[in-house]
Formats: sequence, structure tokens, C-alpha cells
Amino acid sequence: MSTASSPLPSSTTSPRRFVPFRDLREAITDVLEHRDLLQQLTLRDIKLRYKQAVMGLAWAVFMPVLIVFSGLIIRYAMAQMSGQHLVAVAVADIALKGVGWAFFVGAIGFATASLIGNMNLVTKIYFPREVLPLSTVGAQMFDSGLGVIVLAVILPFLGVRLHLSTLWAPVLFVLLILFTTAAGLALSCANLFFRDVKYIVQVVLMFGIFFTPVFFEPSMLGARGAFLVMLNPLTGILEGLRLSVIVGHNLFEPLYTVVKGVSVPEWQPWELWYSAIWSIGGLIGAGTLFRRVQPLFAEYV
Amino acid sequence: MGSGVRFDGVWKKFRRGEVHDSLRDLIPAAARHLIKNKNRPPLSDREFWAVRDVSFDVGVGQALGIMGPNGAGKSTILKLLTKILRPDRGVREVHGRMGMLIEISAGFHPDLTGRENVFLQGAIMGMKRVDIRRRFDEIVAFSEIEDFIDTPVKRYSSGMNARLGFAIAAHVDPDVLIIDEVLAVGDFRFQDKAFGRIHSMCNSGIPVVLVSHQLDRIASLCSEAILLEHGQVRLHATPSECIQEYTLGVAQAGDSTESTLSVTAMRFDAADIVMSGERIKLHVTCRSRDDFDNDVTDIVVSVRSATTGTMLFSTGAHPCRIEMPRAQEFEIDVELQANLTPGLYHVETGVWDRVSQRLVHSGPSRMLTVQPGHRPFGGSVQLNAEMSMHQSGGADAMNEPSPELIVHS
Repeated sequence: MSTASSPLPSSTTSPRRFVPFRDLREAITDVLEHRDLLQQLTLRDIKLRYKQAVMGLAWAVFMPVLIVFSGLIIRYAMAQMSGQHLVAVAVADIALKGVGWAFFVGAIGFATASLIGNMNLVTKIYFPREVLPLSTVGAQMFDSGLGVIVLAVILPFLGVRLHLSTLWAPVLFVLLILFTTAAGLALSCANLFFRDVKYIVQVVLMFGIFFTPVFFEPSMLGARGAFLVMLNPLTGILEGLRLSVIVGHNLFEPLYTVVKGVSVPEWQPWELWYSAIWSIGGLIGAGTLFRRVQPLFAEYV
Repeated sequence: MGSGVRFDGVWKKFRRGEVHDSLRDLIPAAARHLIKNKNRPPLSDREFWAVRDVSFDVGVGQALGIMGPNGAGKSTILKLLTKILRPDRGVREVHGRMGMLIEISAGFHPDLTGRENVFLQGAIMGMKRVDIRRRFDEIVAFSEIEDFIDTPVKRYSSGMNARLGFAIAAHVDPDVLIIDEVLAVGDFRFQDKAFGRIHSMCNSGIPVVLVSHQLDRIASLCSEAILLEHGQVRLHATPSECIQEYTLGVAQAGDSTESTLSVTAMRFDAADIVMSGERIKLHVTCRSRDDFDNDVTDIVVSVRSATTGTMLFSTGAHPCRIEMPRAQEFEIDVELQANLTPGLYHVETGVWDRVSQRLVHSGPSRMLTVQPGHRPFGGSVQLNAEMSMHQSGGADAMNEPSPELIVHS
């Protein structure tokens, strides 16, 4: 037979016909085929959080509660400086946005580590690797779902009434989940190639709360500051939640507030579209990227 | 279209050394990967082909065995088959749901119970939830850990872990079966059971690919075989032809060490097939230098099981009281009695340093096939039992000679 000297390979992989979103479609059918696996992995992640844990289910509300208290301290300081009173509705604001932020932080943290944490699976058995980051997002949805239930019980006591605009909440939650999933997919594969991505993500998430209106509202930063903060895709989602659920504002309408005699936008309808584009476009991009580099995982891990 | 596996001119390259040191490396590499530049040379300086132009077809009713020395590309082919790696060139097609019979407890999570892990691992191996539920009792019964199924897996012994992993893998009901060296699962009794399971799965007619070092497993399970060498197919033929070629190749592999004595050739007097219990003759050609010393250096003739790789028997000129001459070429005739179970064996030669107690040079070796003899027996060594029977109850029964056991070494 042939000798050890390597002849040049003759055939190359046949060129594929262009189909729009081919990778994404493949990914979706693959993941749907493996939905039982996705379910099992999500279940595993949920169980592991509550097994041998001191806090048990309290863990689910621990982080939002911490966020609310930190927010209250900051808001209290701000009220003191400007000689105003801290109003009860501020608690509702921060609690609602805090649950959203806690979901994002938790899911991204777990998703980033998901491929590396399951290295032995990635190098041994084939299944669509998307299910690993997706299952961490799923597990976080369970946690945050508990948080939302607690919120639904507490908010009426803080004076929050049901409005027609409350119907925006599910839409915004879906956008939040899509955006988180997109970021989780992209970061999990980035972390597979470069291990320090995990630490970068940790730092960014730690300080991200200052760039995301959780404790404050964009309008507090003045017109230019508000615009800059609105460039954060999470702003539209979190502020949208606050305005639709707590203020009762229809998100198709702009909302202005007067700060020191100047009219500052509190809400612009484009924020909604902006966040939606980030979420959906991000998911398409991240899903395609993930599919493309997935065959390299076992080699580069 | 029926289920099956097809490899058509599959190439796979790997890189030596660290893969990526920095972002600086990755970005051009990733860009090249995405753009698929046609002008790029097929191999850069640090790359090598782990699998070169491998083609085979396995359809319904076929079982392909893949053998070859370490580093020949067996594991890479396995990973290509199971879609963990993607070929750089060529076509890899798998039709039907693939099952992997690998002692795999990779998906097990130590904090979850056996029951939870069955569902998790089953899903990882591609089983539907309803199927796992339906076959759950069978899986647990097969693994023989019924009493511990609700205990966290971290409290399991490694044997229990492996047994549960194998039991799940064995109940996937695949359309195509991929088997990696699995038979080292649990104790010998469980190994027999596992092998029986593998056998029945192979006999069910689904396409099978078996990768193994255990040549007799390939011989007994496969309809055809591939011998790999340096990532290439050296021979694609019947299992016995491949095994023959492989063991000859191994035999030619190692004789370069400088020593005062060397074994240059070894041949069997007759065929390399012998009936269990019969004697076999072989001739070993040696060459000694003028500084050769009988007290320091000796030849070795040994028999190794091709199945397990265990050394079964080893002797030399010194234990047989032969003085070897200096500065000469000479032939030593060896006669062995094949008191072995039917199967495949390696007869190996070499040079032994009696001072350091180690092999300093390995000479030629040959494959020996032992076929069932006139006196079948169980176990691994023929102890040539002799039995006679006496009616008890007679007054002089006590005076009769007792059953004797004659052992030939």
C-alpha cells in the first residue's frame, strides 16, 4: 500500500448551495430533536443548585433581594442629597428591574462556563452543543420564575396596579431571554477558546450594574446621559418593564420628564425596537457563530 | 435508505503543540476557516495528518473491525464517526441513529442519584425520555445495582459506575453501533455478560464498527476488518488476514538496539495453527558478538495472549541449560506444548539482561492460533486432568488409589 510520504489530498469538500440561515436552521432542528436532552440538562442544573445547599429555594430570591437593598441604599443617598423622600414605588422599581438583572447575570455566569464545565461530554459524545448553554439559561429561568412569582405577590402591596400596559411584561421577558441566550451562546464558545473570558465576564457583570439602569433611571443622567445609557440593549428591556408594569405607560408612546427645567426623555419607542433588534439579531448571529465553530470544540477545548 | 456508515476519502489533520497562544493566533485562523481560502497549503508546518484518505462502507449485516498500533488513528476515526470531529477532506456519512457502546459514565454527575443519572446519561446518548422510562428497569437490572439506584453516584465504586454506564449504553437501541474497547467493564462475570450483550447486538444485523486492540474480539465479532498504520488503511480484508498482517508488522517493528546478542529470525516448524494440547516447534536464529556473556545476557521466548496482552509463559536458554557460543550465528530449536485455551497468541522473542532483569531487545514475533483440541477444558490453562471412578460402598474402597492429577509444565 501507500508509503508514509503524504500524497496531497485530491478531493475537497463539495461546495454547498447557499441557503439563508442554513446554520441557524440546522441548529434549531438539531436542538428540537434533542429537546429531551435539553430538558434533562436543565433539570440537572436546577437540581444541582438545590441539592446539598444551605439556602435551598431561598437562593432564587437571595440575589434579587440583595440587589433591592443595594439599590435602596443608593436611592436613599440620592434622596438625601436632593432633599427628597424615598418613595415606596422606588422599591417596586428596583425589585422589578433587579429580578431582570439577576436573571441576566445568573444566566450569563453559568452559560459562560457551561462548555468548559462539561468538557468530558464535549470531547466524548456528540449532541448539539447548544443545549449546554441553553440549559443553564433554562435553569436560571426557573430561578427567576420563582422571583417573578414573589414579585407578583409583593408588588400590589407597594401600590402597583394592573394596567393594560402590563401586557408588555411578557413581551419584554421574552426579549430578555432571547438577549441573554444570545450572549450566553457567544460567551460560552468564546470561553472555550480563551479561558480568561470567564474572568472578563465576571468583571463586566460586576460593574455592569452601573451602566444598566437598575438602581437609577436614564432621565436622572440628563438628556445626553440618558441617550448613552439607552444604547445598552438591556435599558430598553428593564426600563420598559418598569414603565409598563409600574407606571402603566404604553411603550409605543414617548415619555418625557422635566429635570431642572429641561425636558429629558424617559422613554423613546425606538428603545423597544433597538432592544428587539439586539435580541433577535444577536440570537441569529450568536446561533450561527456557535454552529460554525462547534466542530472545532473537541479539538480546541 | 438503510442505515449505515460511509467514509469516502476522509482526511483529518491535527496540530502539534499548543493550539492557540493568543487572540492574535485565533483571529486569522478563524477567518481562514470561515473563508475557506483555496490557495492555502493543505498542511502548515506544525500540522500533520492523523487520518489519511480512509474509505470504508458498513451496511446492514456488516461488522467492521478497526485495528492498528497506538497512534495509527483509531481514536480519531472513532471521533470522526461519532461526529465529535469533522473531517478536513472527504465525506463522512452516518445514516440512522448512532449508538456508542463505550464504557461511558462521562455524563454522570456525582451529586445526582443513579436514577437521575440514568435519565441524564440516557438523554445524552440520544434516548427519548419515554424510551428511558420504558427500559429503566431493564437498565438497572443489567447493571446489578438495584439497591443503590437512589444513592448519589459519588458514593458508587468505580465498578458500579462503569456497570451503570455500560448498562445505559447497551439499551439505546441504535440503528448503527459504534463499539470502543469496552470489555474492561467490571469483574470477569460482568465482562462476560457485557460481551454477550455486545454479541447479541452485533448479531441483530445492524451495521457495527468495532475499534479494539483485542484482536480475538474483532475475529469473533466482525465480518471484515481494517488495519490502520500512520492514519492510512494498510489492509482492508477479512479479520484473520488483517490480524495476520498486523502481528507480522508488529514482529518486524523492533530490532535496532545494540546488544551483545540479537534474535534475527524466528519461524514455526509447521503451520502457525495448533490444536490445544499439541506440541509446537519453532526455530530461533540468533547472532552473538564476541563480547557476549552467557551469565549476563539470555534470549527470551515468550507467549502472550493476543486478547488481553498478558504474558502467559516465558523461558530462555539459561533455564533450559543451553550455553550459547560467542561471535556466531546459531539456531535454537524450541518445543512448546500449547496447553492453552483456543484463541490468538503471540509468540515473541527477545534478549534479556539477567543483571538488570529487563528486556533489552525485542526480536521477531509470530501469531499463533490455538484451535479446540481433543480435550476441551474451561479456564485458561490445560492442567491435563486425569480422572478415574470407583464404586463406593465396597469394603476395600479405601485401598483404591485416589484420583490422580498429572501436570505437565
